[in-house]
Amino acid sequence: MSEDRRMLTEVATSVLRDLCTPEDVVAAEASGWSEPLWSALAEAGFPYVSVPEEAGGSGGDVADAVALLRVAGRFAAPVPLAEAGLLGGWALAAAGLPLPEGPLSVAVGRPGDRVDLTGGPGGWRLTARVQRVPWGGRAERVVLLTGSGGERYVVSAPRGAAVVEPGHTLAAEPRDTLSWDDVELPDDAVAAAPGGVDGDALRLRGALGRAALISGALERVAELTVRYTGERHQFGRPVARFQAVQAHLVTIAEEAHLAGLATEVAAGNARPDPVFFDVAAAKAVASEAATVAARASHQAHGAIGMTKEYELGQLSRRLWSWRDEFGSERYWSRELGRALAGSGADELWPRISTGLVSA
Amino acid sequence: MQFAATTLSSAEESLRAEVREFLAAELPPDHRPALGFAGRHDPAFSRRLAARGWVGMALPPKYGGHGRSAVERFIVAEELLAAGAPVGAHFVADRQTGPALLHYGTEEQRRRFLPGIAAGEIYFSLGMSEPDSGSDLASVRTRATRVDGGWAVTGTKVWTSEAHHNHFFAVLCRTSPMEEGNKHAGLSQLIVDLQADGVNISPIPYLDGSHHFNEVALEDVFVPDDMVLGEIGSGWQQVTSELAYERSGPDRWLSTFPVLREFLREGPGKAASDEEATMIGRFAARFWAIRQLSLSIARALDAGQAPVIEAAVVKEVGTRFEQDLVEALRVAAETELDQGSGSLFGELLAEAVITSPKYTLQGGTTEILRSVAAKGLGR
Repeated sequence: MSEDRRMLTEVATSVLRDLCTPEDVVAAEASGWSEPLWSALAEAGFPYVSVPEEAGGSGGDVADAVALLRVAGRFAAPVPLAEAGLLGGWALAAAGLPLPEGPLSVAVGRPGDRVDLTGGPGGWRLTARVQRVPWGGRAERVVLLTGSGGERYVVSAPRGAAVVEPGHTLAAEPRDTLSWDDVELPDDAVAAAPGGVDGDALRLRGALGRAALISGALERVAELTVRYTGERHQFGRPVARFQAVQAHLVTIAEEAHLAGLATEVAAGNARPDPVFFDVAAAKAVASEAATVAARASHQAHGAIGMTKEYELGQLSRRLWSWRDEFGSERYWSRELGRALAGSGADELWPRISTGLVSA
Repeated sequence: MQFAATTLSSAEESLRAEVREFLAAELPPDHRPALGFAGRHDPAFSRRLAARGWVGMALPPKYGGHGRSAVERFIVAEELLAAGAPVGAHFVADRQTGPALLHYGTEEQRRRFLPGIAAGEIYFSLGMSEPDSGSDLASVRTRATRVDGGWAVTGTKVWTSEAHHNHFFAVLCRTSPMEEGNKHAGLSQLIVDLQADGVNISPIPYLDGSHHFNEVALEDVFVPDDMVLGEIGSGWQQVTSELAYERSGPDRWLSTFPVLREFLREGPGKAASDEEATMIGRFAARFWAIRQLSLSIARALDAGQAPVIEAAVVKEVGTRFEQDLVEALRVAAETELDQGSGSLFGELLAEAVITSPKYTLQGGTTEILRSVAAKGLGR
């Protein structure tokens, strides 16, 4: 890890340690938002890591943003960090649109979403309905990608003009449906989408961001489980001394490291943009890891893990949500398998035997 | 526990290209791939590989080796295993006994054995398990008693793979009686010539009847002092570190890869169903991810670290993965298994079903590895 990236993760860790305790997460789940946390992160420029400085971002690359998201995942941070930088900020900067001061989110592109952009410069009008927008009801702007008259556009839609229908993940993080009904947009809210800024690219970035959050959460799940099983005594000794419990600890460590290293390689190879094979593999591995490790950790913890007050549930409910967002393990395995089956038997090993490419 | 992402240098990538070129010339397009490092014993292949400098790679040049890194050895090993090359003759000597001789052997032993290992001409078996000692290796009962000029060894080793083809094996035995409460003391490793007087090798057929395993009975076998490996009494430390070397390489996750490749070749290609595509993609993703872990250990070894816990984790996850792949392919193929089915994929799949249970046994069972790894996690 570069010195800059180490600094970034250290500073992020110290901010989150202060403002994103398990109690803070409980409070944010109840209220739907943590303003002190978001303000502190925004103050430090974290939401726009990986967005170029000349576009008003904080600079850094995709791997920096991923390192930051791992820290966020560890703390179950209830804020749209991935949506702001890796996804929304990237699209706005590429299209030359301004970054909002407040939270930025993005329409992830769900089946049934509709985005109609009409008019033109001086008179753009938006009618849209998009689902499962992370913190959609709290965002200042929501990034939409759409086509109109044969052109493709990036839209920075003002949330204030939208009707919000609340929805949630299993971890009570907002995933809202937003509707705009023939709303007029200013010229600085619409711009042509440059090549490469499209739904597929957004999905890859989203998947990489979720793999990063999962990896961070899994690190913490592994620590919690080792600690708890070392402290909890049954039959006169720590439960971690039992082979059956050790098997759970090792499973969690394996899955956490598989997801973590796969995500790190996929992020390192995103120069400048994420690569399909790497991200598909990393998200497939991370989503499966989320399932397997959450199950093993709950089993090792016993009943305490089923309580709201204990930290594990904040992590496991997020793992159970993030694994499906931006494509589940099945989705990415299938996409990857199609590509590999199409390129033939003799291309399989050359593809698998790739790793982090030197800069 | 730590796994760091690593990049391959352009020199390392060109080594890979050279190995691919060699294998393309060496293995005919219709060759039947071997499954895993013990898949096929072919001394002629081992010698040709050695002539390219790809056996005993990490041994120093003064002992006939090539002074290459663990990562370079990793690259050669993974290319060989992915292609299903017949590496069975030299693999154990290359992976395990060579490094052990280099670390613990006398100068004379190094000069005697290492050049032959690096030439692909001297082959070793392992002399660890016994009828009553498997995972509890320290309970071995084979004993060596002091005689004039050396040791007389008596006992029985089992599951000794390829002892009927190989030249030597390093025998873990008791050189002093078991002390109450310290069963790891008093163990030593002796290098035993498999052709010596008093060595009786008899086959223990695999469950399909093929001959890989042997029972090796030692009856008062004379082992001269200069064939003691390392220190008398340090056998336990030596053997456990030797197991650490052998644990994390590509031979722990690539054994059944050729079955997947042949599934793709004979299978549906672009017309893959959703279910087939999902299976292929899932295993490709995990191959890729497990390989990153395994490679990071090779890099750590080159940096002088001792990633013992990490190696146990890679073997534990890698060998279960090798087995999971076989069962997923069986389900996808919807076929009845027949080792003489006439289709390369079908025959490899049948062979894999029969041989894959050993992957999670040899070199430390899943259960032992979990307990090694769990101790490391608690620290």
